[in-house]
Amino acid sequence: MNLHAITETDSAVIKMRGITKQFGGVVALNNVDLTAYAGEVLAIVGDNGAGKSTLIKILTGVYQPTRGTIELDGQPFTMSNHSDAIAAGVDAVYQNLAIADHLTPAQNLFLGSELTKSFLGMSVLDNKKMKLEATRTLKDRLGVQLKSMDVLTESLSGGQRQAVAIARAVRHENLRVLVMDEPTAALGPQETAKTLQLIKSLRNQGLTVIVISHSLDDVFAISDRIHVQRRGQCVGVVKTSETDNEEVLSMIVGAASTGATTTG
Amino acid sequence: MSEQTTSHLSMGQKLQPYVSFIGPMAMIIAILLFMGIVEPARYFRASNLNQILLDAALYMPMAMAMTFVITQRGIDLSIGSVAALSAIVMAFLIKQYAFPVPVAMLIALALGALMGLINGLVITRLKVPDLIGTLAMDLVYRGIALVLAKGLVLARFPELVTEIGRGQSLAYLPTPVVIGLITMLLGYFLLTSTHFGRYTISIGSSPEASDMTGIDVDRHRVYAYVLMGTMAALAGILLTGKLNAIQATSAPYFNLHVIAAVVVGGTSLFGGRASILGSLAGVLLLSMMINALVTLRIEFFWQSVASGVVIIFSVALYTWLQKKDRDGGAGLASLFQNPKESKTVRLFAIIVVSLLVLAILGMLFSGDVKPSG
Repeated sequence: MNLHAITETDSAVIKMRGITKQFGGVVALNNVDLTAYAGEVLAIVGDNGAGKSTLIKILTGVYQPTRGTIELDGQPFTMSNHSDAIAAGVDAVYQNLAIADHLTPAQNLFLGSELTKSFLGMSVLDNKKMKLEATRTLKDRLGVQLKSMDVLTESLSGGQRQAVAIARAVRHENLRVLVMDEPTAALGPQETAKTLQLIKSLRNQGLTVIVISHSLDDVFAISDRIHVQRRGQCVGVVKTSETDNEEVLSMIVGAASTGATTTG
Repeated sequence: MSEQTTSHLSMGQKLQPYVSFIGPMAMIIAILLFMGIVEPARYFRASNLNQILLDAALYMPMAMAMTFVITQRGIDLSIGSVAALSAIVMAFLIKQYAFPVPVAMLIALALGALMGLINGLVITRLKVPDLIGTLAMDLVYRGIALVLAKGLVLARFPELVTEIGRGQSLAYLPTPVVIGLITMLLGYFLLTSTHFGRYTISIGSSPEASDMTGIDVDRHRVYAYVLMGTMAALAGILLTGKLNAIQATSAPYFNLHVIAAVVVGGTSLFGGRASILGSLAGVLLLSMMINALVTLRIEFFWQSVASGVVIIFSVALYTWLQKKDRDGGAGLASLFQNPKESKTVRLFAIIVVSLLVLAILGMLFSGDVKPSG
């Protein structure tokens, strides 16, 4: 089965081709292709050291590939840092969420890109407006309503903090691709279910969501396709509806290959 | 994050904004009650209350700036020397070079800003830890002040200087108190309504997260030290006016006094939590406490003991209040329960017992006291 052949006609949002990344003599990624479409959840799975994190760091502009090209909406796309990626509509929510615990949710949502107003000719922070917009983003885009917007973020539950981190990314109108690194790793079962629901609703809003996860249960619960990495190479991309836990697991560990395995 | 932790935090959360103010206020009321019983006549005299405010005013600008420095997980131990050096330069410019007083004052403030900038660069560019960096710069600034002024006491300044340091022309409040309160208001505005204030909290809360969101962490840390240096210079000007004199060895304990005031006021030494109102309350508390010691005719040197004890107790209290897995007083109690800690207890016992034995031996074999010389 060759998924690329089937889907090449659709408009890919992200097309990474021949991505290779070397750190000194170590080859972290070797000639990896990755394609992601609008309105889908693409899961990236693989063992430790398979190159998952390196791959998404290249996608989000944190690393520059040694070789290979990235296309966004069919246009060649080069980034020199993470800000370039955000400007182009590719953002990431990291495992540690990059949240400042001692700020309120609204302050976190706008951290680094605060809204300002003019006061006596000076540009000062518009705290009221940020709080209003943060409340709206959380509610309209993520369906999350916090009891109070005035508490510090440290008092929120893991899932709520996750929502704040996601809201910070989706606040940008031009966001096309959201990358999430282990979104459920630190969460309990209930919070995990809520976060997975959140990811689905983002997909239904037309976003491309790329999720790295160690939990195959979560991957099967939300993803449309699964990209399997092993030892720096893509060992296959499968449709979630056409595979099962066992097959994916065998691809991850490199056991007897199956018909679904294609070279990326 | 477990549910239990969450509920603990939310309770602390509700209290948190008030704790920083209630803490020092409770201690202030305790001092008032105590002095009301022990020495009401002299403590509550109008002139004495005025004196307390005058003393507090000197520390207000520095406490405001130190709130920012500490909130960013920094510390500045050089402020006493920055104040002394700026004031010495101002004094020379006025007395020896007949500079106009306002110009000399502005030069002092700019010098303070420059010294703060140097501190900030030493910490962020040379990567010297703040504790060591500012302690070393303290030596440098103090040394330059000594080189400039030698043992001179520069005294008798124009009226504008003394007006700023101890004047009373503005209604009932002494001029320096008005200046101090204005700097506090400025600090509150900076903290709540500017990028600098917002990033101060985020950097103290999580430098990594701040960096990832594109905040220039180092630049904003430098800003805090520049503010600190400027406010230390302002304190130097206030001190010069208050005493109508300045010398190179002035203001030796500014750093610990100011840090004590800020920490008592609920600003966390671990970063991220700032309370300007708490710092104001902390400054008032320390001034009242020291004044009470003076009023009670307790020897001057006990002030240092009192300040140190206040710092230790406030930091311990707030650490306990802000701890995520609060374990009651278990930290100290575990010394006696946990078998692992029994060695610490034994060491403690050995040191105390040896001290006692040595003291007894000394007494047993002590001869007659011979007058020396």
